[in-house]
Amino acid sequence: MITASPRHIVLSILAALAFVVIAAVGATIVGPAGERVLTVFFISLIAVLGIGVYSGNSGILSFGHMSFVAIGAYVSSLLTLPAAVKAATLPKLPEWLAATELGLLPAIAVAVAVTALVALVVGLALGRLDGSAATIATLGLLIIVHGIIIGWRDVTRGSGTFFGVPRDTSLWIAAAGCLVALIVARLYRDSISGLRLRATRENAIAAGAVGVNLRRERLISWVLSAALMAVSGALIAHFLGAFSPKKFYFVDTFQLLAMLIVGGMTTTTGAVVGAVAITVVTEFLRRLESGIDIAGFTTPQVFGTTQIGIAAIILIAMFRKADGIAGLKEWEERLFPPRTADVGDGRLTKVSDRAALTAKAMTMRFGGLTAVNDVSLKLTPGEIVGLIGPNGSGKTTLLNMLSGIIAPSEGEFSLAGKVLNGEPTYRIADLGIARTFQNIRLFPSLTVHQNVLVAALSTGGGRDAEGRAAAALENLGIAEHSGSDAGTLSYGDQRRVEIARALACQPSLLFLDEPAAGMNREETDALMETLRALSRDLGIGILLVDHDLGLINRLCDRILVLNEGNLIAEGAPDMIREDPAVIEAYLGRRND
Amino acid sequence: MKRLLSTTALIAMATATTASAETLRIGLATAQTGGLAPYDAPVIEGVHIAVDEINATGGIGGTTPIELVERDVRSDPAQTSIAAQELVDDGVSVLVLPCDADPALAAIGIVAAAQVPAISTCASSPTLPLIGGDYMFANFPGDNVQATVSAEWAWGEGMKTGYILYSPDTQYTTMPLYFAEVFEKLGGQMLGEDTYSIGQQDFSAITTRIAALSPQPDVVMTSAYEPDFPSFLKALRAAGVTSQVIGSDGIDSPTTFSLGDAAEGVVFSTAGHATPGSPLEAFNAKYEEVMGHPTETVFNAVGYDLIKVIEAAALAAGSTEPQALRDAIADLENVQGATSMITYKGTDGMPVRQVSLIRVKGGERELVGQPSPTADLVPAARMQ
Repeated sequence: MITASPRHIVLSILAALAFVVIAAVGATIVGPAGERVLTVFFISLIAVLGIGVYSGNSGILSFGHMSFVAIGAYVSSLLTLPAAVKAATLPKLPEWLAATELGLLPAIAVAVAVTALVALVVGLALGRLDGSAATIATLGLLIIVHGIIIGWRDVTRGSGTFFGVPRDTSLWIAAAGCLVALIVARLYRDSISGLRLRATRENAIAAGAVGVNLRRERLISWVLSAALMAVSGALIAHFLGAFSPKKFYFVDTFQLLAMLIVGGMTTTTGAVVGAVAITVVTEFLRRLESGIDIAGFTTPQVFGTTQIGIAAIILIAMFRKADGIAGLKEWEERLFPPRTADVGDGRLTKVSDRAALTAKAMTMRFGGLTAVNDVSLKLTPGEIVGLIGPNGSGKTTLLNMLSGIIAPSEGEFSLAGKVLNGEPTYRIADLGIARTFQNIRLFPSLTVHQNVLVAALSTGGGRDAEGRAAAALENLGIAEHSGSDAGTLSYGDQRRVEIARALACQPSLLFLDEPAAGMNREETDALMETLRALSRDLGIGILLVDHDLGLINRLCDRILVLNEGNLIAEGAPDMIREDPAVIEAYLGRRND
Repeated sequence: MKRLLSTTALIAMATATTASAETLRIGLATAQTGGLAPYDAPVIEGVHIAVDEINATGGIGGTTPIELVERDVRSDPAQTSIAAQELVDDGVSVLVLPCDADPALAAIGIVAAAQVPAISTCASSPTLPLIGGDYMFANFPGDNVQATVSAEWAWGEGMKTGYILYSPDTQYTTMPLYFAEVFEKLGGQMLGEDTYSIGQQDFSAITTRIAALSPQPDVVMTSAYEPDFPSFLKALRAAGVTSQVIGSDGIDSPTTFSLGDAAEGVVFSTAGHATPGSPLEAFNAKYEEVMGHPTETVFNAVGYDLIKVIEAAALAAGSTEPQALRDAIADLENVQGATSMITYKGTDGMPVRQVSLIRVKGGERELVGQPSPTADLVPAARMQ
């Protein structure tokens, strides 16, 4: 399913079609040289889009994707190489392979399948790593695959030239491949998986807390991007007719990343813009390299200009436009911003399951510091419980444990008898515990609607996700902002988006970590009404952390007080106000 | 009015002359950067010297100037393929491809399809024209011929046991396999062989293995070149092996002569030697005159040879048409190059040329001999 508006998708596909066809027709008019430059451009663009599918959406830069191009090139070429050439140049091939002689398209299909399989295996291991560790691991992948190709001489001719490959990639075949890649990359970006992955890029912890299984989404995009790289590899192999492992190593990785970074990683628009920019500059510099005549003056030959030029462009891009020329939005999203009225009707269903959250003897130690010590609590749908305590008393740590973000040192917590210790955050979210964060964790470059939709899509099997998202936005009174980027909203609105996002998970229990922080009195009162309604009308249980004791006192049925990690009091607001231990914790001991 | 008319006529005449004056366009798709640059760059220097010399006399046969169209292929097969295609589209009559057979092979599809003759600057693998087909030519004594000359020399010097080091990475670096074949055919005994990867830094395992042989081999043969050969040689001497080392044309570079004691006595086969009164001596003098410093490698002269071959072919064909040039090259006999007489007639594209054996002595080159190999002993070309 595609989450973007059909209008955007249709526009982008039509534009892709027009772009590819016009470019191809233009090149045909220019002549063979133009056709060749464009063919290489199309093939590079497929690869750039391929890296973008993974790196752009996940935010993890990959240096290893060229290895998938290599696998695609070698596998497809081994299949199309004429049997006579194989007998002469690769005498030690297994018999079945030596006799195989496929056409280009079936060879591409097999190459894509093999590459995807390799990517699946690699991706399972890679998925365990995050951020720069993952990036470094992709670098390792590039080097390992390069090493294997060089070492596997019987099949690859080692570091020697693999030649004799039928030169079957015509301009139009490359154009068709490019069009497919453009559409696949664009659709993936706004598919459910793509949207979830983008949410993890924006904020991995928050994505987990609204039900996104980060590893699964990364793996999907990794395998899909590898498949695109394999197409690119097969096409370049059958364009060149000869290549060596060097073709699939640092220089070309660098070139593709340059396109991706200069254009903007996160959009297909960026991939196209970057590929065009770098291709134009490279073609110009390559000609400059051999010396050209400008107004009767012949420039000297300087070999190596191309690489220097690309490096300079990357540097300029990094300094001037870190998000790339195209920025974070597709062109059609910029020209035709989503209408705020796009949000339809929907409603949140009442909590039917009255199962309570029970936590027993929760303890969290960070080294020598005991942040939470032996705290037990119970939270039932329909009630509003306040959790208060001075700064550093362990409130947020307790919430983090109960939502699966950190594992407790000791203690056990369960929902309806099901023990939740060790469950990943996205499972806990799906079981009905949603939360917000003390320091706002939105997906800033996604729209408000997308922020909330991701949560709805990733919980409750994604049923009636649009309806739930709409209802959640309506409930918090932020439907008018649905088309804006979440990061551009005011502080109070951002808080409300975060609550709406948690609400879209259709939780039975909701943890709110300082929801009123930064709000003025009117806003706080409105929030209080909203929360009360959630509890009353929908039967949601709320665990509320806040320093606004007025809010807590007026809203909560019950209050828990933490001090230095210990639960020092528990009871109705009136009781807590009188509790000497609480007074002491907040005001200090009276010295008489 | 009259004046205007005459001016127009003059311009028309001038245009007509330019159009009719034929130019021979040669496309150079060679490695000016990367691992093969130490060979291709000097070859292209030689090419320029020859072209300038010819053009100074009005061109080939005094009528057909040569125009060079140059591309850097960065020692990369994929770039070679792209550059070759561009040059063919550009309408060049002859293509010049990189030194090693491997990147040169990247262009075979293009060369065959466009039916444009292609000559590798200095690839010596006899498999290049074998696989490359009718339009692919080499410009250097073949690996099998060089290996035969070296093996016959070693045998003649009384060496009975041998050891080879080769790399399956490229065709050229498998030359020692030809050496072993000839050496055994002569009655010699191979004590063993080792393989390496191009760019391998550490040869200590291999040299230790050779040092452990008892008795040690009389001769160690390899066609490793920079940066592998210097590393290997130093490690071998450091391990205490004193056997005669034989190399090939890949080490005909300034580096080899600057290695000091380690390289002392090394013998290698190459394309020529400047004996007094030889064409190579004349070329070297010319080189120094043009470039302002003496030549440091025979590859300069090899580039000169390349243009001499094309010149002879163009004269024989009386045309700059690619097919006619190809047929003419294939039929060339005894073209006087700077390094040797060059014959393509009767070969499959691997020219018959003289092989020189050079010894490194006190950092200088010393001619060991310029023997002709025994025809029966030369192994057949093969992919290995």
